[in-house]
This record gives sequence, C-alpha cells and structure tokens, in this order.
Amino acid sequence: MQSKPLTLTILDVLSIIVLGISTYLALFFAPTERVMGEVQRVFYFHIGTAWTALMGFILAAVFSVAYLVTKNLKWDRYQVAAIEVSLVFFFLTIVLGSIWARPVWNTWWTWDPRLTTAAVTELIYIAYFMLRQGIDDPERRARFGAVYALIGGLSAPITFFAIRLFRTIHPVVIGGANPEAEGGFAMTADMRVAFFFALFAFTVIFVDLYWNRIRLGELQDEVEQLKLKVTM
Amino acid sequence: MLFQTATANTSGYMIAGFVVSFVVMGLYVASLYLRSRNLQRDRETLEELDAAQRKTVTK
Repeated sequence: MQSKPLTLTILDVLSIIVLGISTYLALFFAPTERVMGEVQRVFYFHIGTAWTALMGFILAAVFSVAYLVTKNLKWDRYQVAAIEVSLVFFFLTIVLGSIWARPVWNTWWTWDPRLTTAAVTELIYIAYFMLRQGIDDPERRARFGAVYALIGGLSAPITFFAIRLFRTIHPVVIGGANPEAEGGFAMTADMRVAFFFALFAFTVIFVDLYWNRIRLGELQDEVEQLKLKVTM
Repeated sequence: MLFQTATANTSGYMIAGFVVSFVVMGLYVASLYLRSRNLQRDRETLEELDAAQRKTVTK
C-alpha cells in the first residue's frame, strides 16, 4: 500500500469539518419542530446516513456486475468497501429511527413495511460478510460475493420505495405526503438548509471512509499475497 | 391558545441520538485505523521472513 495521498488527507479533514457544521445546523440552526420537539433533530442524521447507505448498496451491486464481467479483483475490493461503510451507516439509520420513534410513535420498533425492509436489508449485508468469511479461495469468494451483492442490491430500492408502495406509518420526506404517516412535518427554510447540508456532509464522509476502506482492502490483499509467498 | 398543544420534551432522546451517531462513527474509524496498523505490522514481519528465506536459498 502506498503512502496516504494528499487528497485523501484533505478529505479526512473536510469530513470532520462538514460533520461539525452539520451537527451545528441540526442542533442550533434548524428550529425546534413544534409537535415532536428536540428529537426531530436526529432526522437530519437519519436521512443523511440512509441516503448514503442505500446509494452504497446500489454502488456495490454495480461493482458486482463489473467484477463478474471483468474478473478483476479490484472490483471486489470496491464492492466490499462500499458494503462495509454502508452497513455501518445503515445501522445508524435504523438506531436513529428507533430513537426518534420512541417518543413519536410511542414504541422503539414496529413491524411496519419500511422498518421491516430496512432490517432485512441490514441482515442481508451482515450475512454477506458471514458468507465471505467461509470461503478461502479469493476468486471463489469474489464470485460468490458478487452474485450475492447483486441480488442483495435489490433490497435497497425495495426499502426506499416501501413507504411509497405499501400502507405505512413512516413519514415520506421526499415526494409527497402519506395520509397514514405519523410524525410527518413540513420543513421550514432553515430546516431545509440543515437537511440538504446533512445530505452533503454524509456524502463527503461516506466517500472519505470508502476511500480509506479501499486502501485497507489493498493492504489486506498485499498481506495475503505475502503469506502465500512465504508459506510456499 | 386554549387548544395549542405544548411541545413535548424529547431532549433526552435527541442527545441519545447524537451520542450514538458519534460513538458508532468513532468506533468504525478506530476499527479502520487498528486493522490498518495490524496489517502493516503483518506486512513488515512477512517481508522480513521473505527476505530471510531468500538469504537461506542463495546460501
């Protein structure tokens, strides 16, 4: 693995800055929602992490196709990195949603279509890493992983559209109001600033973590190659 | 004013949400750093082993 590129170091610093600004906007700049109170502020991070995680899962499916077509292990590294970072972000989405739901829905969890599809998506990708752990041959592992991630990638759009296709109590933030929803609200101009900045901030943080994770994958491959060389 | 509902006090949940966010992200960054450090150590050890094996072969 080569020394850390300057662009990545700049991106590391930028990620910390945008996370700080996003936290400030969510906590102090955006007004308090009248009915839900302060807990509504977690919504900015909830959406930011959800957006990047779902994009990451779709990106991983695209890399799966690239691997299956080219058989280049580089695409496998990109896919693993995208899934790992997305898994962390999506875990945050689910936990933040649950924290928000407790005072608003009066429950930590309900088997609503959106929550169920989100939980299934998270479990699918946890199982992805379990599958990879069980295969020693790198090419076989990459092939199985690619097919799995490609099929698993379908869960991302299903989760996104769950609140638009089924009767659900989960609010729809973008693209119209849901009459069944509980906890929905109209965003003011200041809320929109915090909302769109959170989307931007989490995209930057995702790219930064993703790049760092790809470098870790390269180092892992290098060590695996060296192990083979030494044991032969 | 008579029918206006008071805003619920949900500050505790908000604090919990932000604490969880920072803890999870911090743990993940720490895991990336630790895994990278361990792999770099492994690589150094393996490179030394490889060099030692080469020396033995040339002798």
